[in-house]
Amino acid sequence: MEKWRLLLTGAKDAAANMAIDSAILKARMNDSVPNTIRLYRWMPSAISIGYFQGIKEEVDLNACKKNDVDVIRRITGGGAVFHDVDGEVTYSVVVNEKHSMFSKKMRSYFLNEIGVHDEMKERWSNLLNSYAILCGGVIEALALLGLKASFRPINDIIVNEKKISGSAQTRHGGYILQHGTVLCDVNPKLMFQLLKVTDEKIKDKMIKNVEERVTSIKREMGKVKQEEVIKTLKTGFETALNIRLVEGKLTDEEMKTSEKLKREKYEGREWNFRR
Amino acid sequence: MKEESGISEGEHSAEYKVPGGKLLRVHILSRDNIIKSIKITGDFFIHPEEYIDELEKLLMHTKLNEDEIRKKIKRFYDEDVIVIGADIEDFVTLIKSAFESSGHRELK
Repeated sequence: MEKWRLLLTGAKDAAANMAIDSAILKARMNDSVPNTIRLYRWMPSAISIGYFQGIKEEVDLNACKKNDVDVIRRITGGGAVFHDVDGEVTYSVVVNEKHSMFSKKMRSYFLNEIGVHDEMKERWSNLLNSYAILCGGVIEALALLGLKASFRPINDIIVNEKKISGSAQTRHGGYILQHGTVLCDVNPKLMFQLLKVTDEKIKDKMIKNVEERVTSIKREMGKVKQEEVIKTLKTGFETALNIRLVEGKLTDEEMKTSEKLKREKYEGREWNFRR
Repeated sequence: MKEESGISEGEHSAEYKVPGGKLLRVHILSRDNIIKSIKITGDFFIHPEEYIDELEKLLMHTKLNEDEIRKKIKRFYDEDVIVIGADIEDFVTLIKSAFESSGHRELK
């Protein structure tokens, strides 16, 4: 069975977390590390926003400051995520695009669902298919916990029709970085203090809306410790991707790259406030 | 919109939720019905990500006209780029509604 590296990097601040994901991708591109899965948390709690989002449009920066919540822009697209120190676990996967696991077609009706543009169909379906394959690890983990979860294109996992996990990926030089959140416990009230609501009058309605659209492991089956979720994710990815995860460490090269990226990119205004 | 010595400047913004998809936002500064600057934001995906700058560059100096806008966006989609969560017409609708919401101009 194919061996991949497992990294358990614990809870770190937002800049360190994003710098480490980038450093793994970079090292993988140099072929100096194997395919890798990393499981981690955020301390202090943080909001991550998608590559294309406007930071001031999405985030109430004063409220974040007041609540000691980090704010960071990801290198991946998608939406804003609240990484609650006590309420979620994040995974990241770095793998080569041409890995044989992606030849398995998860669904064939993607293209009709999202209305794809003809010429790019093959590349679109590859990309969307890879979301489904990699999300399989989270779905399997939730199944091991006793929850029936399923993939909802483009990039969500749902339980009882409610979102429990969201993912985002980027591709560089033939390698995929996909990272995603698994909700252990949600606090919509705090979330909406930190995220901007276009219309204050509908804030209550939106909180209620989130309660209807989003769920968590706790809400579905009672509290499960984050450490337990991390252990289960390991097994979930092993089963779904048919790999063996061997716990390893960041290489010196990765440490050096991540420290540099943290300092020079992710902690800076230039990156975080570019949109 | 300000009018000084025959030159008109405008600020336009809009947001558009793709049905069952992503939220797109746009901010445009225009001068004499030409896009002077444009910023597109939202929770969509573009691969490679840096190409968002190309899209915005392409739209600069474009007339506030639906067909012109569509032509530019189509040109972007024809490049070696994958956009997920929004198609050509979604971006056209977004930008069109930005002009309309400013209340000063009509698209022809």
